Amino acid sequence: MTILLPGTLTDAYRMLSDDPDVTPVAGGTDLFAHWPENRVKQSTTYLDLSGLAELRSMRWTKSELVLGALTTYWDVVTDARVAAEFPNLVTAARQVGAVQIQARGTWAGNIVNASPAADGVPVLLAYDATVRLGSRDGVEDIPLDEFYLDYKKMRRRPDQLVTEIRIPRRTYQRAWFEKVGPRKSQAITKVGVAVTVAGETWRIAANSVAPTVCRCPALERYCAAVAGAKGQPLTSPSDLLPAIRSDVSPIDDIRSTAEYREQVLARILFHALNDAGV
Amino acid sequence: MGKTKTPKAEAPLSDAASEAPSEGSTDKKNVASDRPLNLIGKPFRRVDGRAKVTGQTKFADDLHFPRTVHMKLVRSTVPHAEIVSIDTTEAAGMPGVLGFLTGDDMPNTFGILPVSQDEHALCVGKVRFVGDPVVAVAALTEDQAHEAALKVKVEYNDLTTIASVEQAASTPEPRIHDYGDTGNIHKQVSMSFGDLDAGFAEADEIFEDIYYFEGNTHLPMEQHASIAFTEDDGRVTIYSSTQTPHYLHRSLAKVLELPASRIRVIACPNGGGFGGKSDPFNHEICAAKMALKLGRPVKIALTREEVFYCHRGRHPVLMKTRTGFKKDGRMTAQHLQTALDGGAYGSYGVASTYYTGALQTVTYDLPKYRFDSIRAFTNKPPCGPKRGHGTPQPRAAFETHLDKAAHRLGIDPADIRLNNLVPPDSVTANYLKVGSIGLGDCIEAVVKGSGWRERYGKLPEGRGLGLACGSYLCGAGLPIYWNFMPQSGVQIKLDRSGGVAVFCGETEIGQGSDSVLAACVAEILGIDLQDIRLCVADTDLTPVDLGSYSSRVTLMVGNAAVQAAERAREIIAKAAGEKLDVPPSRLAFSEHRVFDIEDDERSMSFVEAVQAAEAKFGTLGTTGSYIPPRSPGRYRGAGVGPSPAYSYSAAVVEVEVDPQTGIYQVEHVWMAHDVGKCINPALVMGQIEGSVYMGLGEAMMEEQVFRRLPKKRSNALVHKHPSLLEYKSPTFHEMPPVTSYIIEDPDPNGPFGAKEVGQGPLLPMPPAVANAIFDAVGVRVDQVPIGPHHVLEALERKAKGKEGRVGPNKFPDYDFGVPLNVPTVAEGGDGKATNQETAGVRKGIGTMKDREEAVGKGGQ
Repeated sequence: MTILLPGTLTDAYRMLSDDPDVTPVAGGTDLFAHWPENRVKQSTTYLDLSGLAELRSMRWTKSELVLGALTTYWDVVTDARVAAEFPNLVTAARQVGAVQIQARGTWAGNIVNASPAADGVPVLLAYDATVRLGSRDGVEDIPLDEFYLDYKKMRRRPDQLVTEIRIPRRTYQRAWFEKVGPRKSQAITKVGVAVTVAGETWRIAANSVAPTVCRCPALERYCAAVAGAKGQPLTSPSDLLPAIRSDVSPIDDIRSTAEYREQVLARILFHALNDAGV
Repeated sequence: MGKTKTPKAEAPLSDAASEAPSEGSTDKKNVASDRPLNLIGKPFRRVDGRAKVTGQTKFADDLHFPRTVHMKLVRSTVPHAEIVSIDTTEAAGMPGVLGFLTGDDMPNTFGILPVSQDEHALCVGKVRFVGDPVVAVAALTEDQAHEAALKVKVEYNDLTTIASVEQAASTPEPRIHDYGDTGNIHKQVSMSFGDLDAGFAEADEIFEDIYYFEGNTHLPMEQHASIAFTEDDGRVTIYSSTQTPHYLHRSLAKVLELPASRIRVIACPNGGGFGGKSDPFNHEICAAKMALKLGRPVKIALTREEVFYCHRGRHPVLMKTRTGFKKDGRMTAQHLQTALDGGAYGSYGVASTYYTGALQTVTYDLPKYRFDSIRAFTNKPPCGPKRGHGTPQPRAAFETHLDKAAHRLGIDPADIRLNNLVPPDSVTANYLKVGSIGLGDCIEAVVKGSGWRERYGKLPEGRGLGLACGSYLCGAGLPIYWNFMPQSGVQIKLDRSGGVAVFCGETEIGQGSDSVLAACVAEILGIDLQDIRLCVADTDLTPVDLGSYSSRVTLMVGNAAVQAAERAREIIAKAAGEKLDVPPSRLAFSEHRVFDIEDDERSMSFVEAVQAAEAKFGTLGTTGSYIPPRSPGRYRGAGVGPSPAYSYSAAVVEVEVDPQTGIYQVEHVWMAHDVGKCINPALVMGQIEGSVYMGLGEAMMEEQVFRRLPKKRSNALVHKHPSLLEYKSPTFHEMPPVTSYIIEDPDPNGPFGAKEVGQGPLLPMPPAVANAIFDAVGVRVDQVPIGPHHVLEALERKAKGKEGRVGPNKFPDYDFGVPLNVPTVAEGGDGKATNQETAGVRKGIGTMKDREEAVGKGGQ
């Protein structure tokens, strides 16, 4: 195993462009979970980002909350301003693994690990986050919604590094996140959903129900229509099933069944909508 | 000051050790229990507590000796195959590699039960599950051994894989083992106690339920580890995390082909066992063999993944319970059928098979009882004993069955139990002798504590209460191999220092056995726990104790310790009485002093009294032994189930169910346990709470399950999640507040009246959770674990007008053979079967006698 220790972000970009097989690592909570049994990981060259001050900051601009690539879940959990403006981020962060994972794991790492069960990603999607990629050739901004191509495939070139996650500041009437796992902590999600409502704009994103964490455009339209009294009022969770089925494609795996995931997604959405008076 | 009893007539000291071991209750212990107690019954700090919390305790993996080398096992990657070839050439050239072992180096078989000597230290000829060890590799470092193990090439010729009991029953060939009752059925049992037809004919209603209990594993914090070394005179010593050093000792002698006297087994304190360290294991035998081969200390520490392969955990069991009830809820007869998925080896499986039926009779009166069972071999890690050994599964089936019966008959679930209690000092239909039974008090305690009478059936939708009970052994009545020697022995050495050394083969696995042993001696000699030096679990230095299994230690070690301590007290009292000019019977031992109970001015210190005894009698030492009382059953299979005493538990569980997701939270547990008499209430509470936790895990989420790899990736049958990442057990968030009630109904067979607490309180948990879910949302999930998706599915079915139930619907039509007919005591039975010669035989394959001659009797 080789670990590269860049002194600056420029060094890191150079190292990445010199060797396309280098794997950047920040918290290591995903990459080293199966250490040392996973033989491939033992012969990997890692680029240790943890010393790069440029990636560390979490800052506010007039229009955005900017999470530097090294921002951990715990940084967010302990920030009262985030809790006030983007409560979903805190709710989700508190449900990732255990405190130890929350203290080391980063939001950017959660994005590029590209697990369909990533707990950090649905809330970022529902907040319309943008991923900023940097490389020797400059920076590129990609909406998170367009970032994933397929299971574990994403629009990040090997020479690019996630440097920031940018979240637009809006006024939300509602924002909530629900995770259904096999137990209340240290559990990988069976099904999760994040919802935000800003004016008439709905954002719904779900995890563990498709090859990638994904937005649910049909559900968003349906909910917006129901909320705007343009559609049939909701009477039961099964009203949501056609939209769910057009948005997601859950499978049976070691953690749950496709049917349970679909049913529970419909039910938690239905009741959240009911509670919200929709 | 309480009364004292005159000790037995003086006996020469030299005869103390040669006295016959006490069988069952002895008047010696009544001497102890009649005196006022100073220590027993009060919460005291466990003797190993400080060392454990400060990190001073040496677990097996903490040990290291000069020149230690490290060993890894190459494990099978296929579930069932012939071994075609093993190539260690490349591995031998790896850095640091010192040597290899294969099955050819250790041809003798071993196994915990004499009838199931079916394991090799390393596979010979074939492998039987993914994880079966094939080659051992030793190297200078653990990493080097690991690297080398990866380079060992094993070529396999795949055989048909058996994945379930049903498949085993329908696939007699190829056989996983070349022994067993038939094909891939390891064991079949059928026994009928009393006239079952008459019992059912008396019933007003007959109910039948089918229930499935999934397998799960022990999940001890400490992974198994061993370190072995040789001494230059041809001896080998092994330190290991084992619950049963004595049985490991026997297996080592057999496989290593060495006299047992040259093998020393020392059980380190276990970082949790729960039954998972009760078998002799491959890695232990390989470590000893490798040490003999290399002449250097050899260490192996299993990874968590390997612990999942060692397993020996809860058998998956499918059960059918059919019971006749009178209108008032009295039971007239029960017919229980069980089918166990045993995994790839025998382990304790024959005993587990009997245990799925044996203890159904000790809680509620079952006048007639029939029990049929089969255990199948499958290509999965072997199942064995886990906390409750074979009894939590039928207990869950019975207690949910009873809950349903109560509803069908319109009787409160608490009352149907209270009305059916087994009377104390009685013999059950299957000839188990019940002594004390505090179950009624247990039920009353949790009913009162939980507000059952006011709240059951009346809580808002989504909220519910469930009640269930259980019972467990206080040590198996018979040893694992047939012998007439004590099951537990204790030696005490005293000298002029006033220090007392206590030697016993018992094994501390976290349950507090060291503290129980020390407390029994300290109480009788009137000294502090700190004055006692324990030497335990060392086959060279300590008298045999069979091990920490079947909840036997408190009762058996306790009784042996009481006997040894009473003998020491007698000797000291004789010498002290002479010095003080007081009859020994008037002497009390308390607070480090020996004094006249009628005139406490006439006294001397304990140290002075011991010195007087040493001066009078010479070197001081006493022994104590324990053999359980003989059980009344005389039929084949009567050896499983008898115990000197039975503990009882009752629980009420309160749940909150979210009908939208099926997710439920256990909000509170009230658990009452009849422990006979507390040796240390703090430890009793700890065991109750630990059992609640483990039972909750089994009820809610824990499952050891398997899947097929995709065809392109070999189609092998593999463990679904051999890691703590996906094998879920409860966290702090799932653990509810627990209100514990200690019920003390002293049993004459227990030391100071004590019974077990380590396993019993687990039993009510899974059925109590299931019954509470029914009270909360009106659906039955007749399987364990109960996942949110099961609850949701049952709710969906109910909403669609179907039966609000999820669970197995069919119990296959297995052939259990001809039942053994044993008339009950009420029918004038004498404990013997009327058809011993012909029973147990499958249709058309000869008599039992023929078969025994054909397959040999097994045994070591």
